[in-house]
Amino acid sequence: MTDTAQTSDMQSRNLRVGLITAMIGLGMLGLGYAAVPLYEIFCRVTGFGGTTQVVDAAQAETVQIANADMSVRFDSNVSSALPWDFEPETTTDKISIGARDMAIYIAKNRSDQPITGTATFNVTPVQAGKYFNKVQCFCFTEQTLQPGQMARMPVLYFVDPAILEDPDTRDIKEITLSYTFYPVDPDKKGS
Amino acid sequence: MTTIAANPGDMETHADEHHHDDVPPFFQRWFMSTNHKDIGTLYLIFAVVAGIIGGAISGLMRMELAEPGIQYLQGWASMMQGSAATEDQGLHLWNVLITAHGLIMVFFMVMPAMIGGFGNWFVPIMIGAPDMAFPRMNNVSFWLLIPAFVLLLGSTFVPGGTGLGAGTGWTVYAPLSTSGSQGPAVDMAILSLHLAGASSILGAINFITTIFNMRAPGMTINKMPLFVWSVLVTAFLLLLALPVLAAAITMLLTDRNFQTAFFDAAGGGDPVLYQHLFWFFGHPEVYIMILPGFGMVSHIIATFSKKPVFGYLGMAYAMVAIGVVGFIVWAHHMFTVGLSVNLKMYFTAATMVIAVPTGIKIFSWIATMWGGSLSFKTPMMWAIGFIFMFTVGGVTGVVLANGGIDDAMHDTYYVVAHFHYVLSLGAVFSMFAGFYYWFPKMCGRMYNELLGHVHFWIFFIGVNVLFFPMHFLGVQGMPRRYADYPDQFAYWNEIASYGYAIMGIGMLVFFANIGYSLFAGRRAEGNYWGEGATTLEWTLSSPPPFHQFETLPHIK
Amino acid sequence: MTFTKIVKTLSIAALLAITPQAAMAQEAVPAAVVENEQLTPIEEAAAPGEVPAGETEAPEAAGSYVPMKPTEGKGMPVDGGIDFQDQYSEVGQQAYGMHNYLLMPIIVVISLFVLGLLLWVMFRYRANANPDPSKTTHNTLIEVIWTLVPVLILIVIAVPSISLLAKQYEPAPEDALTIKITGYQWYWGYTYPDNGGFEVISNMLSEEDARAAGEPPQLAVDNRMVVPAGVPIKVIVTAADVIHSFAVPSIWFKMDAIPGRLNEKVMQIDEPGVYYGQCSELCGARHGFMPIAVEALPMDEYNAWVQSQGGSIKGAEEAAAETAAADAAEEEAAATPETETTENAAADAEPAAAPAN
Repeated sequence: MTDTAQTSDMQSRNLRVGLITAMIGLGMLGLGYAAVPLYEIFCRVTGFGGTTQVVDAAQAETVQIANADMSVRFDSNVSSALPWDFEPETTTDKISIGARDMAIYIAKNRSDQPITGTATFNVTPVQAGKYFNKVQCFCFTEQTLQPGQMARMPVLYFVDPAILEDPDTRDIKEITLSYTFYPVDPDKKGS
Repeated sequence: MTTIAANPGDMETHADEHHHDDVPPFFQRWFMSTNHKDIGTLYLIFAVVAGIIGGAISGLMRMELAEPGIQYLQGWASMMQGSAATEDQGLHLWNVLITAHGLIMVFFMVMPAMIGGFGNWFVPIMIGAPDMAFPRMNNVSFWLLIPAFVLLLGSTFVPGGTGLGAGTGWTVYAPLSTSGSQGPAVDMAILSLHLAGASSILGAINFITTIFNMRAPGMTINKMPLFVWSVLVTAFLLLLALPVLAAAITMLLTDRNFQTAFFDAAGGGDPVLYQHLFWFFGHPEVYIMILPGFGMVSHIIATFSKKPVFGYLGMAYAMVAIGVVGFIVWAHHMFTVGLSVNLKMYFTAATMVIAVPTGIKIFSWIATMWGGSLSFKTPMMWAIGFIFMFTVGGVTGVVLANGGIDDAMHDTYYVVAHFHYVLSLGAVFSMFAGFYYWFPKMCGRMYNELLGHVHFWIFFIGVNVLFFPMHFLGVQGMPRRYADYPDQFAYWNEIASYGYAIMGIGMLVFFANIGYSLFAGRRAEGNYWGEGATTLEWTLSSPPPFHQFETLPHIK
Repeated sequence: MTFTKIVKTLSIAALLAITPQAAMAQEAVPAAVVENEQLTPIEEAAAPGEVPAGETEAPEAAGSYVPMKPTEGKGMPVDGGIDFQDQYSEVGQQAYGMHNYLLMPIIVVISLFVLGLLLWVMFRYRANANPDPSKTTHNTLIEVIWTLVPVLILIVIAVPSISLLAKQYEPAPEDALTIKITGYQWYWGYTYPDNGGFEVISNMLSEEDARAAGEPPQLAVDNRMVVPAGVPIKVIVTAADVIHSFAVPSIWFKMDAIPGRLNEKVMQIDEPGVYYGQCSELCGARHGFMPIAVEALPMDEYNAWVQSQGGSIKGAEEAAAETAAADAAEEEAAATPETETTENAAADAEPAAAPAN
C-alpha cells in the first residue's frame, strides 16, 4: 500500500463529498429564505390561510351569477399603535354568488397628525379564500389620513360561483372578511 | 451483519507499538484536539455539565409546581437581578426557566451526547476508519458549542422584556419573540442557536463524509453497524433541517433589529410562517434526538442476547423511512393555528404513518431477544426500559396525531408527557444504555454493576412517577408553560414533583458510579461483553489506542 | 354579587365615596363593560331615546342577569381527575368517545402487548434458561405481519378520525350568532357584532374574590363570555399583540388567536352552565393568568344579558336594519373609543378592577 498516495486520494474524495454536503446545507438555507416568497405565492394561489384572490374588472365581468346567496360579514381591527377608528359600514351583507358587490369601511384619524396605515386581511372559513375575489380594495395600497379626517374605503368583491362546486366549501353560508390596520411607520417596533 | 477479519489481539499490539508516544501534551490534546475520541470525550463531558444545569432548572420548575400558588419565583427573580422583583418579573422568570430547560436539553445535552459524544467516539471505529474525515472541523464543531452555551446562559442575566432572560419558550414563536420581548436576551438566545446550529451542520457534513468515504475495505453500506446507519440518517436530517431553522431565526433577528417584517403582520408578514419554518426543522429535530438512540439500543440488545440483530435491513431502512416521513408531518405541531380541513386531514394521516416503521423497530428488537441468551447487565436494563417507555411515548403520539383529538390535547400536559416519554424516557434511557455499554471502552475501567442497577431502578421509578401523571393533567386540560394552576390540578402535580425527587436520587447514584469507576473500577479488557459484542470497537483495547486502524481492517 | 346591574350602577357613586377602592373592585366587576359605540351604564336610563332597537325593554331585562353559579365538576377540572372533563358539546362527545372507546383500548392493548412480550422474553430466554442462543436473523412472514397489522390498526383509527375532523369543520348555519374573541396581554375581549358590537373585557379574578364568589380561583373571571346554549355559534378569533389560544376543555374547543389574522370555529354548547378554560399558547409573563369563562344561557336569558350590556337582540330583519342604521348614526357622533373607555372606567371604578387582577 502506498500510504501517501492513498491519503491524498482520500483527502480529495473527502473534500468532494464534504463540499457537496455543504452545498446541500447552503441550498436548504436558501430554501429557508425562499420559503417567504414561496409561501406568499402559495397562499395567493391556493387561498391558503384565507388569503383572498385579486382579479381585474375585465375578468370580473365574465363571471356568471349563480342562483344562490352568500352572507358576507365584515370584521375590522386596528393596531393599538394606530390612533384610528376603523369600522365596516354594515356588519353583514347578503349577496348573490358571482355578483359584484361593494362594501364600505369607514376610517377616521383621531390624532392630530397625518398618519399612513396599511391593512392586512384574510377571510374565514379559510377554505373560502380561494373563492373570494377582490376587484378593488383599499388594502392594496397604503392609506394616509389627515388629522381628524374620515374616509370611506371601498372594497369591490365577488364570490366565485365555483365555491358551490367544491365539497369543502359548498356548505359555507357566511364568509367573514377581516381587516387589521397597522401604521406604516417602522417605529411601530417600539410598541 | 459485520464480521471481523482481523484477529483482535493482533490489532491492539500493532496499533499500540506504532503510536504509543503520539499523544500530544495536555493543552494541545484537549484544546486543539483533532482526535475523534478526545473530541467525543469533550462532547460527553459538555453534555453532562449541560444536563446537570438543564436538570437543575427542571428541579426549580418542579419545586414551584409542587403546590398551587407562586412560592419561589419572585424570590429567585430578585436574586438574579439583585433587587426586589415584581410579581410579573417572577412570572417572566418562569418562562425563562422553561425556555432554558428546553433549549439546553435539546441543543446542549441530547444532541452533543448522542451525535457529538457517542457518534464521534464510535462511528469511525465501527466503520474501521482511523479518524473523522475532517478532524480540524470536528474540533471547530465542538468549540462552537461553548460560546453558544455561554450566550444562552448569559441571556438569562440581561433584560428580555418583562424581566431578565428570554421567556419565549424553546419554539421562539413570533411575535412574542419579536415585538413581545424587548431587550438583548432574545437576541443572545437566537445567536446561541445560530452557533449551536452551525456546530451541528459542520458535524453533519463531517459524519456524512466519514461514513461515505472512510469505511474499511469490505464494509459496504449494507454491512454497516446500525449505530452508523442511525448517525448517517441523523446527519442528513441535521443537514436538511438545521439550515431552515437558521434561516427562520435569522429572520427573527432582522425582524427584531432591522425593521424587517417577515413574521410581523403589521408589515405584511405572517407569524404562522415562522411556525411552519420552525416545525419544518422541529419535527426532524425530534428524530435527530432519538435515532442515534435507536442505533445504540440495537447493538446493546444484540450484545446481551448473544444474537445478531433481527431484520437488519428492515431496521436500517425503517430509520431511513422515519427520517424521510419526518419532513412531511410538521404541521401536526400546529393543529390549532387555523389550518384548513384538508391540511389537517393530510397531516393526521401522514403523522400516523410514522408509527409503522417505529413499530417495525420495536418488534425487531423483541425478536432479537427472542431465542437469545439474555444477560441483564446494566446497559441491557436501560435498553429494555427504553423499548417499553418508548412504546408508551409512541402510542400517545398516535393519539396526538389525530387532529380532531388534538383540539383538546394541544399545548396541554398530555403533550408534555408524550414528548418526555419519548425523549426523557426514550432518548435519555438510550443514552444511559450507551453510556454504560461503552463507558469501560472509553475510559478503560468497568463501572459498578450493582450501582448501575440501582441507578436504573430508581431512575425508572422516578421518571414514571414524574411523567405519567402528566397524562392525567393533560386530559383534564392543564395547559403547559404555566407557573401556577387551579387547585384541581394540585394532586398530580405534587406526585410529579415527588417523582422528580426520586429521579434526582437516581442521578446521585449515577454520579457516584462514575466517580467510583474512574478511580476504583476494575480494568476493562478489550471485549468485556464477550461473544455477543461483534462490532469493530471490541477488537481494540479499552481504552482504544490514541490512533487506531493505521492498517485498515478487512471486513468479510 | 347578587346586586342587579341597575342597582349597582346607581349606587356606585355612593359606594365609591365610602368604600376603599380595593373592596370596590369585585363589586364593580360585572359592570365593567367597555365598548365602542355603546352607552356607558350610567347613561343607560337615557338610552331608549337614542337607540331605538330593542332598548325599550332594557331596564327590566337588564335586571334579570345574575352571573350563574358554577356547578362543581362541570366545565372545570376535578380534583385528581384522570379522565377528560365531561363534554358538553356534540363535537366533544364524539371526540371523547373516539378517544376513550377506540384510541385508549388500542394504545393500552399495544403497550401491554409489548410489555408482556418483553417480560416473557426476559423470563423465557434468560441466560440460565437458554444458554445456547439461536442465530435466527430473518423471518419474512413475521416481518410482513408486523408491518401490515399496524397499518390496519392505523386505518381503523384514521377513518373515525377523519370523520371527526369533517364534523369539526362543518360551517356554521346561516344566520348563526357570531361572537368575536380577541386575545390581549393578558386578558380576553369578547365582542358581539350581531348584538350591537359591544365588547366585554374579561380579567381574572384574584384568588380571594374568586373564593368569595364561590368560583374556582385562577379560572374565575370578572366578566364572562356569555353565549346562548343549544345553538351553533360562529366564533371568530384574533389577537391584538402576540399569539394567544382560546381553549375550553369541556367543549373540546381550542383555537389560536393570531394578530393580523382571523380564525373561525363553530361552538355549540348543549346545556346552560359555566365552562372554564385557560389561554393555551405562551403569550408572556401572565400567560397562566388570563383564564376563560364561558357562560351558556338559554336564548331568552342570553337576550336579556345582551340588553343588560346595552346591546341589541339579533333577530328580525328590520331589527338588524335598525341596528345598522343606529351603528351608522353613532359612527358620526361617536366619541373616540379611548375617551369612552376612560369615561366608562371612571364611572365604574374600573381602574381598580381591570389591571389589578
